[in-house]
Amino acid sequence: MTLAHYLTVAALLFLIGLFGVLTRRNVIGILMSIELMFNAANVNLAAFDRFLHPEGVAGTTLALLIITVAAAEVVVGLALLMAIHRNLGTAYVEDFNLLKG
Amino acid sequence: MIEHAYLLPLIAFFASLVMLFAGKEDPRSPLPWLGIGAMTACLTIAVSIFWSAAFGGGVLPYERNWRWFSLAASIGGKSFIVDMSVGTLIDGPAAVTLVVVTLVSLMVQIYSVVYMHGDTRFKRYFAFVSFFTAAMLGLVVSSSLLVTFACWELMGLSSYLLIGFWFEREGPCEAQKKAFMTTKLGDSGLYLALLLIYAKVGSFQLSQIQQFFDNGFMPATVATVIAVGILVGAAGKSAQAPLFIWLPDAMEGPTPGSALIHAATMVAAGILLVSKTYFVFLASPSAMEAAGWMGLITAFLAASMALVSFDIKRVLAFSTVSQLGFMMCALGVGGFTSGLFHLTTHAFFKALLFLGAGSVIHAVHTNDLRRMGGLSKKMPLTFLTMLIAVLAISGVPGLSGYYSKDLILADVWNHDHAMFWILLFTALMTAFYMFRLFFLAFWGDDRDHEKFSHAHESPVLITGPLVILAVFSALAGAGLDHDGLVSKLLAKPTISVMPGATAAAVAVPVDGAKAETAGHEARGESSGRGERHESHLPPWLHMTAITLVLCSITLSFFMYRGPTYALADAVKANLAPICTLLERRWYFDDFFYGLVALADQAAALAFWIDANVVDRVFVDGWGLLMLIFARISDAFDNIFVDSAVDGVGSLGNDLGVGLRSLVKEGQVQEYLMYAAISFSLAATLILTR
Repeated sequence: MTLAHYLTVAALLFLIGLFGVLTRRNVIGILMSIELMFNAANVNLAAFDRFLHPEGVAGTTLALLIITVAAAEVVVGLALLMAIHRNLGTAYVEDFNLLKG
Repeated sequence: MIEHAYLLPLIAFFASLVMLFAGKEDPRSPLPWLGIGAMTACLTIAVSIFWSAAFGGGVLPYERNWRWFSLAASIGGKSFIVDMSVGTLIDGPAAVTLVVVTLVSLMVQIYSVVYMHGDTRFKRYFAFVSFFTAAMLGLVVSSSLLVTFACWELMGLSSYLLIGFWFEREGPCEAQKKAFMTTKLGDSGLYLALLLIYAKVGSFQLSQIQQFFDNGFMPATVATVIAVGILVGAAGKSAQAPLFIWLPDAMEGPTPGSALIHAATMVAAGILLVSKTYFVFLASPSAMEAAGWMGLITAFLAASMALVSFDIKRVLAFSTVSQLGFMMCALGVGGFTSGLFHLTTHAFFKALLFLGAGSVIHAVHTNDLRRMGGLSKKMPLTFLTMLIAVLAISGVPGLSGYYSKDLILADVWNHDHAMFWILLFTALMTAFYMFRLFFLAFWGDDRDHEKFSHAHESPVLITGPLVILAVFSALAGAGLDHDGLVSKLLAKPTISVMPGATAAAVAVPVDGAKAETAGHEARGESSGRGERHESHLPPWLHMTAITLVLCSITLSFFMYRGPTYALADAVKANLAPICTLLERRWYFDDFFYGLVALADQAAALAFWIDANVVDRVFVDGWGLLMLIFARISDAFDNIFVDSAVDGVGSLGNDLGVGLRSLVKEGQVQEYLMYAAISFSLAATLILTR
């Protein structure tokens, strides 16, 4: 198991997440896909930490921080979704076009 | 006192400033007495300088210089520093002239207190007179030609102011302009001469220039050009032909002012300048000859014009021109001493004549000789002093004019016999017209009863100066001639190196250091080289000249003694064409007016060409051409350049609009997709480089 294997897995995860963000119609699905992308980053951090600086804890600490931030972000996203859903009565992202110029 | 000669112009100048700016203008202002006091101080200094020069141990020439300014110049790649000096240079002629100028100016000022009494610009008149005198004194004492030239120009200004003193009237206005412009025409020649001198010598100091000439560094042709330039300047200032036209009109000013101009300051300046730069003339025989003939022609023309004039001041003005011609002629033939001697004596009797004429005019309020007559009964003092002046100017033996004119005639006789005869004839005319004036004004019975009964002798402030000047007119000649004083004081400058061929044309120089004894020796030595300095006419010629002068006076007496002058009228009728010629002043004025009119026509033609050819064709045509070019440029700009600019803009616009139409609006995921595609493209580009 080399660094490349981890990075490949992380890249796949990221692309899957990106694909989900671009293709899911439901906002909840999009939020979940975003989580995937976050986790791809976390895998990268852990892998770089493990292979480049095995003696330190900076990488893992940053990964933990990101997990926390992601949780907070999802909370904000879901709260926004609740407010939108109450006003528009839908959770499909193609209907969210109030801000178009 | 000689070391304080610089005080002379400064005192007079200061006095004139004070008189001009202090106090209010008042017909009875006491300020003129300040000018008179200042002039008395000047006279004292001048007399002491003269005394030490004539009888004391004073060594002449005396020179003293101060640094004035320095300037660094670079000409033709060579840099050098020029030290300009200002200072005084007192030689014999200067010492004599100083006395003459200050004395005449003092007399004129005292006289003017009465004559100008009640004039609205009483104070200003005296300021002008003082200023005029200051300028003349500055010219006399200056050791630098540059300062001399400045004073020369200041004198031009003051003559302008004095001639046009009564500027409300048209005559003085025209006269002052004429005087200023005519003299300015001459000044341009002098200016060029000065430039040339400086270019050649590199200094304006007279002594240095003289040294330059003495050492023979100056090429003869350049010397001639310089001499001619100086001569043109002198011709303007000293009223020589053909630039004398201003002087007869210059008598439009106040009569005492005319006396100053005609006797001491203005016209003497030209002669004096020639004498100051005499070494230039000595180096150029042809210029000497030109000066001689110019003076001769002037003397003759002016004397002939004086024969027919009936304006008392105009006759005197013509006589001034004529006498100046005598002086210039004398200088031209090498008679340095005689020319300056005549300048001195002439100053006295011409001032006297003008002041006497002023006294007459003051009494009868007219300039017209035909309305005077018999005034000897009413104005005995004026009559007697005028008699002395007229005798002096006519050259009657014993009086001052005789001595100087005799010397001039002798010098001319030794130079050229033809010139002598013309000059002798002129001298006879002088005697004739002066006595004509005298008889018309004073002799016989009155012609205009009203004027006559009105006439009265002038007050003592007028007659006093007349008497003093009469004393000088009578005795100055004999006094200066006595004991060889004149040849000591007015010794001809020497020039050591002379072109061999021309040595004969120039009189034998008198050594300056031995000048004191030269007068005595010259009498004893009969075997000099060529001519002697104190030359005399042959005795038979001398007697003939005196006899002819007396005949001329007698002729004048018989023609003009009575209340009528039938004889004169008969002569006039018989010689009508000549009289007309003389009355029109030999058509000199008409000539100059014609010249000016011609210049006017030429200017008008030039203006027409400018307006119709230059402006129409070149200026307007150029504008039109530019307009056409501008139109073409404008069209090109509109069609090609602007459409290119607009095309680029609308291309960007169209591209943007077209691209935007590909995107469905408001779809976040689509935006994101494009962002992702762009990002990955960019990342690919960057990473694969």
